[in-house]
Amino acid sequence: MNNSRFARTAGWLALPCLVAAGLLAWYVTREPATPFSASDSANAALVSRGEYVARLSDCVACHSLPGKAPFAGGLEMATPLGAIHATNITADREHGIGAYSLADFDRAVRQGVAPGGRRLYPAMPYPSYAKLSDDDVRALYAFFMKGVQPAAEANIPSSIPWPLNLRWPIALWNGLFAPTTAYAQKPDQDPLWNRGAYIVQGPGHCGSCHTPRGLAFNEKALDESGAPFLAGALLDGWYAPSLRQDHNTGLGRWSEAEIVQFLKTGRNRHAVVYGSMTEAFNNSTQFMSDDDLSAIARYLKALPGEPRRDGAPWQYQATAAAPDAPGAHTYATRCASCHGADGKGQAEWMPPLAGATSMLAAENASAINITLNGSQRIVAAGVPDAYRMPAFREQLSDREIAEVLSFARSAWGNQGGAVQAKAVGELRGHTDPASSSPIILHMR
Amino acid sequence: MELRINQQTYQVEADADTPLLWVIRDDLGLTGTKYGCGLAQCGACSVLVDGNVVRACVTPVAGVVGREVTTIEAIEADAVGKRVVAAWVEHQVAQCGYCQSGQVMAATALLKHTPKPSTEQIDAAMVNLCRCGTYNAIHAAVHELAQGENA
Ligand code: FES
Ligand code: FES
Repeated sequence: MNNSRFARTAGWLALPCLVAAGLLAWYVTREPATPFSASDSANAALVSRGEYVARLSDCVACHSLPGKAPFAGGLEMATPLGAIHATNITADREHGIGAYSLADFDRAVRQGVAPGGRRLYPAMPYPSYAKLSDDDVRALYAFFMKGVQPAAEANIPSSIPWPLNLRWPIALWNGLFAPTTAYAQKPDQDPLWNRGAYIVQGPGHCGSCHTPRGLAFNEKALDESGAPFLAGALLDGWYAPSLRQDHNTGLGRWSEAEIVQFLKTGRNRHAVVYGSMTEAFNNSTQFMSDDDLSAIARYLKALPGEPRRDGAPWQYQATAAAPDAPGAHTYATRCASCHGADGKGQAEWMPPLAGATSMLAAENASAINITLNGSQRIVAAGVPDAYRMPAFREQLSDREIAEVLSFARSAWGNQGGAVQAKAVGELRGHTDPASSSPIILHMR
Repeated sequence: MELRINQQTYQVEADADTPLLWVIRDDLGLTGTKYGCGLAQCGACSVLVDGNVVRACVTPVAGVVGREVTTIEAIEADAVGKRVVAAWVEHQVAQCGYCQSGQVMAATALLKHTPKPSTEQIDAAMVNLCRCGTYNAIHAAVHELAQGENA
């Protein structure tokens, strides 16, 4: 009697569980809808338009390796769970995406779903690419199918162990954090602002580095409606500064023309690209049209700063450092030839340290990293840079680097504050010196 | 652009970001200034700009337009420079000599600003590298110069 009641109760309970499991299985393997049919096709104008969209989106930075066929994949990305590798996205039918229909391609790029419902890791910035317009997706597809040579290069499997390598939970993450609709024009803003918003939020995926992330590694905001959007973030040993109107740690002191100049030539009187931004510049921003760069500048200049986060506005103060102060002597002998005894640099070739974001931000990773490892070569319009930051990891100890940075971060009105030798040691352990050879990634 | 080097005026054609060292050596043939590292680390390329020592390998040429550049070729036309070279000869400082034009420029700039520098000031100013290790001879020469004209 007891037993049969138990069985009946269990039966009633099992039913909703089964339904829920069925729904879950459907949800996490479902192929989302796409506006494209299988027969959409390409022409030459569309291919070159797609090449430009690929520049805006900087696909090449992850999907190509120096000296290998363009877009044949391979860049290793460390995650807390293990390493994953960017895949072959040439039109090779076996290893690449040659068998993808436009609809398949769209689902992968804008929603992070590969054919068969397999979820991509969000190292692929599909939460940003979700904003791409239908036209740009169609053009991008045409470029990869017709403009890029197929390469029979096998993909490298990830080293993430079971069960962490199960992909279906990503679908739930997507449901919470990834948008599903393309960028919608804001009618109350002018076309330039709208174009800038589209590039910054969508193909440019600026937030992937510059927006702080939450506990689930989600970007805390995906557009200007959230205050954390582009407010600066620590990633891979670099501090990507605020792109908002923060006076000290953002773009508050930059004019629109200076933002355009920075993205087009890699330098202006405030700063020179370094760290991960060198890759974004070398492969992407310098190829953007002047109109698009102006649009980006217009949009970024419209993002307000946050004085409470940013601190008291920096102003230059002449610093007569005692020559025997720790760090001051190292500065004089190692740094001053380029950055100036007065910290003002030699604009726009050697950046000033007076008023530099890396000298004002509480996060000191970028200051330490560039001192240890130097800068990658900047290649502007095909010409490698004449001047670059050398790596000091072999010449200066952790303590000497901490002292010289503590000096520079408190001289000339800078207020970044002291750097501890321990922090230098930690970054030294898991970073490598930048290559002194120019690295050029070709797209064709 | 127009450059003033060793009291002479030169017309040069160069991109604004070309290192001054390239212009001096390759375009003007003033090869007394040496190329060591190209990264502001060794000082072999030191020249004077308006009497201050700078490393020519990291000095964009556009930055010295309208200023007075002095290289090792003309250092003895300067009273302080002449004394420095004489002390260098007296102490037989040079070994291979590669770094020495830079060392002389550094010492000249120091003594022009600070005729009687202290040991700390000398240590802070004389930081160019020497692969031959002539540091002791450099030290002796500069200390003698630091005692002044009649030492
Ligand atoms: S060549 Fe200029 S400092 Fe070494
Ligand atoms: S004398 Fe040979 S490098 Fe100095």
